[in-house]
Amino acid sequence: MGHAEAYKDPGTPEEQSRRTFMVNAVLALGGVISLGLVIPLVDSLIPSEDATGGAWSPLTPDEWAALQKATDKPIKVTFTLHSVDGYLPPSDDEQFVWAIKADEATFKAQRPELFDGSGKVPYPVVNLGFTIFSPICPHLGCRFSWVDAQSKFICPCHGSEFSNIGAHEAGPAPRGLDPLPLRDLNGKAELTWIEYKQNTPDHIVLRIG
Amino acid sequence: MLNWLDQRTGFVTMTKEFLTEDVPGGASYWYAFGSATVFAMMLQIATGIFLTFYYSPSAATAWESTKYIIDKVPAGHLVLSLHFWGATAMIAFLMMHMLQVLLWGAYKKPRELQWIVGVILFIVTLVLGLTGYLLPWDLNALLASKVAIQIAGSAPILGKDVLLFLQDGSGIGTLTINRFFGIHVWLTPAVLILLVAMHLAIFRWNGPAGAPVDETPKLKPGRFWPDQMFMDTVVSFAMFVVIFVLSIVSPAPLDAKADPNNTQFVPYPAWYFMALFSLLDVVGGAPTWAVDFLGLFATIIFPTLLIVVLIALPFIDKNPSRRLSRRPVVLTCTGLVLGGAIVLSFVGQYHVQEQQMLHGLGGPAAASTTATTTTAATTGGGGAAAPAGGSAAGASVYTANCAGCHGAAGAGTPGAFPPLANNPVVNGPAAKVITIVNNGLNGPVTVGGATYNGVMPPWKGNLTPAQIADVITYIRSSWGNTGSAVTTADVTAAK
Repeated sequence: MGHAEAYKDPGTPEEQSRRTFMVNAVLALGGVISLGLVIPLVDSLIPSEDATGGAWSPLTPDEWAALQKATDKPIKVTFTLHSVDGYLPPSDDEQFVWAIKADEATFKAQRPELFDGSGKVPYPVVNLGFTIFSPICPHLGCRFSWVDAQSKFICPCHGSEFSNIGAHEAGPAPRGLDPLPLRDLNGKAELTWIEYKQNTPDHIVLRIG
Repeated sequence: MLNWLDQRTGFVTMTKEFLTEDVPGGASYWYAFGSATVFAMMLQIATGIFLTFYYSPSAATAWESTKYIIDKVPAGHLVLSLHFWGATAMIAFLMMHMLQVLLWGAYKKPRELQWIVGVILFIVTLVLGLTGYLLPWDLNALLASKVAIQIAGSAPILGKDVLLFLQDGSGIGTLTINRFFGIHVWLTPAVLILLVAMHLAIFRWNGPAGAPVDETPKLKPGRFWPDQMFMDTVVSFAMFVVIFVLSIVSPAPLDAKADPNNTQFVPYPAWYFMALFSLLDVVGGAPTWAVDFLGLFATIIFPTLLIVVLIALPFIDKNPSRRLSRRPVVLTCTGLVLGGAIVLSFVGQYHVQEQQMLHGLGGPAAASTTATTTTAATTGGGGAAAPAGGSAAGASVYTANCAGCHGAAGAGTPGAFPPLANNPVVNGPAAKVITIVNNGLNGPVTVGGATYNGVMPPWKGNLTPAQIADVITYIRSSWGNTGSAVTTADVTAAK
């Protein structure tokens, strides 16, 4: 079978210019189709505005009482975090934070980065006499715990170590522990769950509430 | 740059080889149906891939994630609607392509296998349409798919096994969604792409058949690139513009979430199944002794026969002539089936609208507006809320409370419950009807010479005066009845 008979004759100049037009038209129309398709398709992948359940999570009286037992030795405090995950029904999940009794002077002396520059947090570090720490390791997001024997927070994943007020002491973590806001609203204690971007000395918010 | 690539891969040479192709008799818009179908397929694949970023196939999330795509995803409703209208475009162009091949006799030797692959492609595409219809898991998806699955299950041979296989169990549920999802996004597209490749490979081997003439003079060859490609692109572009505009002015609908207990919703099939749906409906009106067989004929025997005939067509119709005047039988049969399908589709569409009026739904759009408010409420079996007031509300009250005894069409139940259609009492003074509905009725009554002796409960207290007024207005204006409307005040004024 001859597959290219028609291509042996280059055609008249008119035919040649007509073909040039057709090539350009194919490219132009194809380009318009591609744009018309690519724009909505790529647009659809833009991450959603953070769908959160609400900025403040209330503590129950029991949880508030538990928190108040904190001394300069941290304790774990559980609370309920209301969250919305995509199209799933909104859910209330048990979540925990670490709490210590603290005063601002200590923080200012030992963790000055929280009060100035890119590591600054836009809320008071000590509230109602306590500081709340997010349980998420600022290195790569594992959950660390308080090791009583060594008087340190130690992360199980890569061995980052932090003092009782969250100052970075050893290991790969680029910053100290992240304090979270705590407030008393009409006699009811509430805290805000914040997730910061990990593995950077700066405080960059990924999610609130 | 291209040289560098070509030396190492041969891609440029290959592309040139592919594009440098003769088109006997020159390029023609008549050859664009097939390429436009392929373009629609690519559109479906592209939009479909992006929909899977959000869609989640399970009974708990299918409807929710579809709603999320519509409400929350940027341009999500547009992508969904492009997929929705793309399906219509793909099937429409596939049908036109097939019809052209039939009319031109292009299935004849040596293109028998290309035709057979084409018929299989048609079936695979319909399977794609059918399985995609269930995925949004709204009322229409559930009820229309239930009908389709039941039809497949009514086959005398292996019917029950087919039913259980399609549902993946005894009912339509989360496993069915999973199964249809697997079929819709992996199995059929993979098969489709392979078959399209085969179809095109055979096409390249034989070349286009050209116009339906017998004498094949030495046709002056035309060029595929750019001549034919230009025409293909123009048609595909026009199709894309139409799909895009339709997606914006008439986006894909989503009814309330699927609820097996809903008794109000009138499912409507996709337009390409409307003819079959309607055929089933038409034979449903046949005499009782014939209904079973005719039903089986409409749902199983006729479609099967049609597929078998289509596949075997090149071997049945061996007459080598392709001229229209020499092929009266094939052309007549094609015309009859096509004409029948079009008429049946319109009848079916009319019937669906009639049913929707009866059940107080203005159509899919009306149902979708209630979707947000009735999500939680539909679980009670009350169904999609009808708009308040008017005969739509009355129809809704009637279906929920009265149709059980008096029948959906007001025909009653022999011996027990009198018909309401053409019942002189219903058409008579409103006060009497209000009294009966308010206080109920005991003992024998005679309507049209027949005696009925059932018990009607009093409805005062169970229904609000407004509901009673609505339902009375409804029965007095339905099924040929001509009684006057009744107001809430009339009802409260009555004893």
